[in-house]
Amino acid sequence: MRVLAIVPAYNEARNLPGALAALRDAAPGCDVCVVDDGSTDDTAAVAARLGAVVLREPVNLGIGGAVQTGYRWAAARGYDVAVQVDGDGQHDPGQLAALLQPILRGEGDLVIGSRFLAGAGGGFRSTALRRAGIRYLSLFLRLRCGVLATDPTSGFRAAGRRAIELFARRYPSDYPEPEAIAVAARAGLRVREVPVTMAERRHGRSSIDAWRTLYYLLKVSLALLLLPVREAAPLPAGEPRPEGPA
Amino acid sequence: MSPEPILAPRLQVFAVAVLLVLLGAVARLVRRHQLSLRDSLLWLLSTFAGLVVALFPELLTRFSALLGIRVPSNALFALAFVYLLGNLLAANIAISASATRVRRLAQECALLRAELDELRRRG
Repeated sequence: MRVLAIVPAYNEARNLPGALAALRDAAPGCDVCVVDDGSTDDTAAVAARLGAVVLREPVNLGIGGAVQTGYRWAAARGYDVAVQVDGDGQHDPGQLAALLQPILRGEGDLVIGSRFLAGAGGGFRSTALRRAGIRYLSLFLRLRCGVLATDPTSGFRAAGRRAIELFARRYPSDYPEPEAIAVAARAGLRVREVPVTMAERRHGRSSIDAWRTLYYLLKVSLALLLLPVREAAPLPAGEPRPEGPA
Repeated sequence: MSPEPILAPRLQVFAVAVLLVLLGAVARLVRRHQLSLRDSLLWLLSTFAGLVVALFPELLTRFSALLGIRVPSNALFALAFVYLLGNLLAANIAISASATRVRRLAQECALLRAELDELRRRG
C-alpha cells in the first residue's frame, strides 16, 4: 500500500519544517510531496532540504489547483492512497492512521477528517460565524448530493485510488473542499468521515479572513447549485466513467 | 417621405464613420497578431451588423414595430446593449478557457520539474 501525503504550501517556509517533521514521525512509510503554489519565499528550497518531493508551480493557482497538482502526481506515480495535509501545522499527522482506516478496509473512497463528528476531541473549531457556515454547507451538501459531511471545509482528507483518478481529472478551483466532496459523491464514490482534532495555525493568518466568510459561502453555494450542469459534461474519450455506488 | 428620419443625416455619417474605424481597428489588431482571428469574428460580424443598421435606419423602425418599442432610438440602445453584452460574454468565455489551460500547463510544469529534480539527483 503506497501512500502519498500531499502538502499544498503557499509561502509556508516557516511552518513546513514542523509540519513535515510531524508527518515523518507519525507516518514514516508515507511519501511526502509538497506543492509549492508559486510561493515568493523559499518554500520549495525548505521542502527539498527536508527530503520531500517538491512540485513547483510556476504561477500561483490557488489551493484547488495546487491540490490537484498533487493528485496528478499521485495518479502518475500509481499511489494507492493520497492524503491532503495542510502545510501550516493545522492537521495532526498522528491522526493519519485513523483517516486511512476506511480506505484500507475498502469502505470508502474519500475520507474527510471532521472536527464535528461525535468522538472528535476539543481543539480548534473556528469562529461561531464560520461554524454556522459549515453547518449550512453540510446541510446543502446533504440535500444536493445526499452525502453526509459534518465538516465539509476540512482540508484534512484521504483519497483512495478511484478518488485520485477522479481528482486528477477534475478538481474544483478557488474554495474547493465542499465542492470536491460533491464531485466525488456525484461520481459515485463513497464519502466517509472520521473524527479528528485540529490545531490553530502556528504562524501567519488563515487564507480566509473572517469577513470573507460570506463571500466564501456565496461562491460555494453557487458552485453546488450549478453542479449538475457541469457534471453532465461527458468525460473525455478513452477515460472510463467511474461506476456507480457499490 | 417619412416625417422625420430616425437618424439625422449628420448622425448617420458619424455612426458609419465610427463603426468603420472600429472595423479597421479590429482588422489591424488581427493583422498585428494582437487579436486572434477567432476572437475577432464576433466583433467583425456585430460591427458589420451595426454598420448595416446605421446605413439603413428603416430596419430599426421595423425592428421596433416588431418588438413593440415605441421610440425606434430605444431599439438602437437595446441593440447596442446586446452587442456589448454578447462581445463581453464571448471574451469572458475565452478568458475562462485560457485559465483552465494555464492551470493545466502550470501543473504539468510542476510535475515535469519534479521529474527533472529526480533525474538530476540520480544522475
